[in-house]
Amino acid sequence: MTERLLHVDSVTVRFGGLVALDNVSVDIARGTIHAVIGPNGAGKSTLLNVVTGLYRASEGDVTFEEESLSGRAPHLITRQGIARTFQNTELFGEMTALDNVVVALDSRYACNGISAALHDGRWRASEAEARGEARELLALVGLSEDQDSAAAALPFGKQRRLEIARALATQPKLLLLDEPAAGLRAAEIEALNRVLLDLRTNHGLTILVIDHVMALVMAISDRISVLNFGRKIAEGVPEEVRASPEVIEAYLGKKAAHAFSA
Amino acid sequence: MAGRALIVAIAVAAFFIAPHALAEFHLFQICLVAGTALVVLGLIVVTGFAGQISLAQAAFVALGGYGSAILAARWGIPLWAGVPIVSIGAFVVGFVLGQMTLRVSGHYLALVTLAVTAIVQIALIYSDNVTGGAAGMPVPAFEIFGLTLSTGGQLYYVIVPATAMLFLAVHHLNHSHYGRALAAIRQSETAAELMGLNVLRYKAAAFGASGFLGAFGGGLLAPLSTYLDPAQFGITQSVYFLAVAVVGGMMSPLGALVGSIVFVLLPDFLQAFQTYLGLVFALLLLGFIVLRPEGLAGLRLPKGIVAALPRLGGERR
Ligand SMILES: Nc1ncnc2c1ncn2[C@@H]1O[C@H](COP(=O)(O)OP(=O)(O)O)[C@@H](O)[C@H]1O
Ligand SMILES: [Mg+2]
Repeated sequence: MTERLLHVDSVTVRFGGLVALDNVSVDIARGTIHAVIGPNGAGKSTLLNVVTGLYRASEGDVTFEEESLSGRAPHLITRQGIARTFQNTELFGEMTALDNVVVALDSRYACNGISAALHDGRWRASEAEARGEARELLALVGLSEDQDSAAAALPFGKQRRLEIARALATQPKLLLLDEPAAGLRAAEIEALNRVLLDLRTNHGLTILVIDHVMALVMAISDRISVLNFGRKIAEGVPEEVRASPEVIEAYLGKKAAHAFSA
Repeated sequence: MAGRALIVAIAVAAFFIAPHALAEFHLFQICLVAGTALVVLGLIVVTGFAGQISLAQAAFVALGGYGSAILAARWGIPLWAGVPIVSIGAFVVGFVLGQMTLRVSGHYLALVTLAVTAIVQIALIYSDNVTGGAAGMPVPAFEIFGLTLSTGGQLYYVIVPATAMLFLAVHHLNHSHYGRALAAIRQSETAAELMGLNVLRYKAAAFGASGFLGAFGGGLLAPLSTYLDPAQFGITQSVYFLAVAVVGGMMSPLGALVGSIVFVLLPDFLQAFQTYLGLVFALLLLGFIVLRPEGLAGLRLPKGIVAALPRLGGERR
């Protein structure tokens, strides 16, 4: 078996009486695209929020490269090598597309405070370097033309790709994408899928992608986990998951499940 | 680049011509505007850029004024060295205070910073062997290169360049990764965190910067007023600085300058209303919060002017 990069170990998340995640375990193998699917409210975003440190697990643990992440601040988890996008994009709306990416590069390129206060040669060099890399990342997701547009002014599909570029700027080993295909047109989904496959194959990235519609991730996922009402109800390669009666039932209801098995 | 060089040349020329063209009283007022603007600049960094309301500015101003005066009176450290030293101290105080308090925000933060101002004022009153207590203390003269600067016309040569340089530094920092990080935090704190930014540290640094600039402004204003007493550094004064920032405009360093000009010059125009000055300031503050939250500096945007002109014209007709 390939080496596991992320290990979600029996995680439970409760919000008062509501159990958003119920004893969920998932392993993500390095160098793969792993999809987590499930109907709305299944707990998919909650899973990403626990991994990135925005939520605390009520029980269980998350380990990344065999190191526990529990109790660690979100910005430290990012520096560990996990980056994400958001279901309802969280861009810095008033900033240009380029600056959105540069923000994420600053922790690597920024010069010292004195140089920044003087705008001296060292500052100019660090800005130029960061901007250069930001342009490369924008090119990677096909946004070269849009670098000077305010992020909020971009069409939704481009905002999604800008979030991916910004996440990549933190140099992640693991990229978490929360419903990147939602609201996109078929052609845009094609483009997105190409970007994700390219990232995995040519840049060695591991990707955990969330979706609530199965068809979209079937084409690119190496492995799929299915959540329903906070529980993991199935897991396997796309063909296995597609054939699973529990999954069909979760998506289409009991009657359909009977119809399929009949 | 050529345009920038021209502006710098004009500014430098104006700086050297002004003392010959203006009366002593006006030079004093220019110094007062500059010192106040520096203090308010600190407030703009922490409240405007970092989005953290602070009512501690009067405390930092007191720290700068008293701190440098005491260093000079007790240890013979000249003000030109004492003011930067105390300001760096105020940065550290602000940074540490920020680390401790900035987890909270909104009303609670306003209260905490208000308490800081109150505590510092009380400390000044009760440490009377060092500060002169409620009666206050005189400020030693500003001595540099063997010269003694005491009038507005003399201090002008220190206060105006120091203020200009610090404004430039803040402008530069705001257009570097620091300003970018604060803008990112303002627009989405969650996303900023997940881009690897240590949000608390940036906010604390902004609080530290407000301390530095407040203390620097306070240190420069002290020799101008020649006398310090605790009554100058109360909660009312913190609110006054906030009012200057709101009227001037919270989102740009220019707002500090515009607001300070208005608040320093207004009392001259309103001499008949001296007794009601507090009321006028309060009404200004209220009016701006409700009607023009972006402050006067927001006016300078050509877009805003272009948009406002036809509207004003239309209303007149
Ligand atoms: N911060 C929160 N506070 C309370 N309930 C929450 C919170 N976040 C998520 N939930 C609840 O947890 C459940 C799972 O939500 P979520 O993870 O967003 O589902 P999904 O992303 O699969 O649509 C939902 O019932 C949702 O209302
Ligand atoms: Mg979701």
